[in-house]
Amino acid sequence: MMNLVRLMIVAAIWLGLAVSAQDELVDERILLTFIPNVQFAPFYVGVEDGYFADAGFNVSLAHLQEPEVLDLVAVGQANFGIVSGEQVILARSRGRDVVYVFEWFQKYPVGLVYSSALDLSDLANLQDMAIGIPGRFGASYSGLTTLLGSAGLSEADIDLREIGFNAPEVFCLGVIDAAIVYVNNEPLQINNLAADGDCGSVREVDVITVASQVDLVSNGLIVSRAYLEENPDAVARMVGGLAGALRSVIDNPAGAYLASLAHVDSLPADEALLKALESAAEEQVDFLASDPDRGDIARSRRRLAAELAERFDRAALTQLNVLLNTIELWDAENIGYSDLSSWEAMRDTLDSMGFLEDDAGSLQDAFSNRFVTGADW
Amino acid sequence: MGKVRLDESRHREMAAGLEVSLRRLAPFLTIACLLLLWQWISSRGIISHILVPPPADVYQAFIDSLADGTLLKHTVITLEEMLYGLLLGVGIGLAIGYAIAKAPILENILSPVIVAFQSTPIVAYAPLLVIWFGSGIASKIVTTAVIVFFPTLVNTIVGIRSVSPNLRDLMRSLKAGRWQIFRHLEAPSALPVILAGLKTSTTLAVIGAVVGEFVSQGSGLGYLVTSARNLYDTPLVVVAVLAMTAISLTLYGIVAYVEWRFLVWQRRASA
Repeated sequence: MMNLVRLMIVAAIWLGLAVSAQDELVDERILLTFIPNVQFAPFYVGVEDGYFADAGFNVSLAHLQEPEVLDLVAVGQANFGIVSGEQVILARSRGRDVVYVFEWFQKYPVGLVYSSALDLSDLANLQDMAIGIPGRFGASYSGLTTLLGSAGLSEADIDLREIGFNAPEVFCLGVIDAAIVYVNNEPLQINNLAADGDCGSVREVDVITVASQVDLVSNGLIVSRAYLEENPDAVARMVGGLAGALRSVIDNPAGAYLASLAHVDSLPADEALLKALESAAEEQVDFLASDPDRGDIARSRRRLAAELAERFDRAALTQLNVLLNTIELWDAENIGYSDLSSWEAMRDTLDSMGFLEDDAGSLQDAFSNRFVTGADW
Repeated sequence: MGKVRLDESRHREMAAGLEVSLRRLAPFLTIACLLLLWQWISSRGIISHILVPPPADVYQAFIDSLADGTLLKHTVITLEEMLYGLLLGVGIGLAIGYAIAKAPILENILSPVIVAFQSTPIVAYAPLLVIWFGSGIASKIVTTAVIVFFPTLVNTIVGIRSVSPNLRDLMRSLKAGRWQIFRHLEAPSALPVILAGLKTSTTLAVIGAVVGEFVSQGSGLGYLVTSARNLYDTPLVVVAVLAMTAISLTLYGIVAYVEWRFLVWQRRASA
């Protein structure tokens, strides 16, 4: 009887502590773009592995179109959002006072995919080619303009076709010679189709990344200036939480894939793959305990990809490979840090596209490294 | 006594006239009230200008887009897609609808496909239409045709089947041929129902064209919405949406006028 009373007292204390810890967390919604996808793994890891909770937030995630994300953050209906840098410049020129506080993608994710049979060693060879693009907007259009500009070409020199987000299908039907795509995703899908003989005469594809030509600012975390000025501590904690989660994904992609399963319905996860990933994630924890450097960790990711490729078919590994490709766009010595020159390059691109009719204002007001500089994560 | 009766009658006539005038003015009064409410909300800052731009900004965007030709260019493209789509969808709907009405076995054969196609939201398979028909005008025409096809089909079947069997028998007894029965009995009898379907189709045609433009961009009012949205030009988004509404209302009005003109006999019969 005495034991039962003791047990009940302990349980009550434990429950009380748990509830009070829960109470301390602030509910916060982070607005993302696109749809739930393994490319958002840092946010899933942040939620599942407690990085946001450690930062004092009970985070929920929502997916919207980029302009909606930006407007809702600008008017204070959400405090945090993820958008590309170009959207920040455009929106600021239209009176939305938002600040970019953490550069998530260190490399611009857009590039040109084309059949390896084509000779595009000189980008000027793009002249008169049929090139597909989702539409004349967003990161794809900025990327194309930059690529063409770096080859001394303009839109008038190519046959530009708007194909929506259907690049793999349209490319493999042979309707276009090349397509502007997200380099971490579509080339993989096209290569899979080609390997199965479902991509016409194309056997393999190559990619020219925009990042290889010019450093353009890419996706990152934004807040409104009003929120930033009133809650700098909250912004610092959120940046810290996101940075921790991002570092965790970069260091242990197998673990990140497993954390993403709770958020992305369509992720392949049969029993054998799950076991392999759990085992890989555990081994990686031991490996990380040996304090490897960035290069060692990058090699460990390549090893993971190679080992899994021997045991599983391409379709089962596509999303994991998308994650591994995307990590290459995130990984950097100073994650989260934003360069003024990349903002200037983006502003110049938007200007050349005729998108900046209004004053873009000072670019130094558009972003801040104050939560990143000197941080240790 | 007679003067009192005359006054009462004049009073009733005036009241009736006032009611008619009020009913005619009612839509404009509703629009004016909405505009005033919109202006009031904007000027009080109840909703941020970022989310709901003031009417003055929308008006300025309308003038600017009209002056630089943007609005007209995209409106013409959407209209073109709609009209071709309407022609195709309504044409096929009329033909298949007539065939089904005359040969019920066709309904059993075709209905699974037609109902399956119709019960799936067009936005779900619009990307497939772009892949199949290309990113040019063809995919938008097909999207429009698919969406306007069903109301035309259903109304044609109902219209043709509603023709009185007695009248059909009467015409046959007068040795009327198939064409004569169609020309003088079936078409006039089914016309009110078919035109009602056409009114629905014209309003749906805007949805079809714009869905196509959202999926495969490049031109048209759907593209203008996306493009303006991506440039954070909310007033221009509102202008494009209002242009879609105007197109839809205009086409609806045209069909309603055609209905009014062609169905004189029906009104007379009712009178």
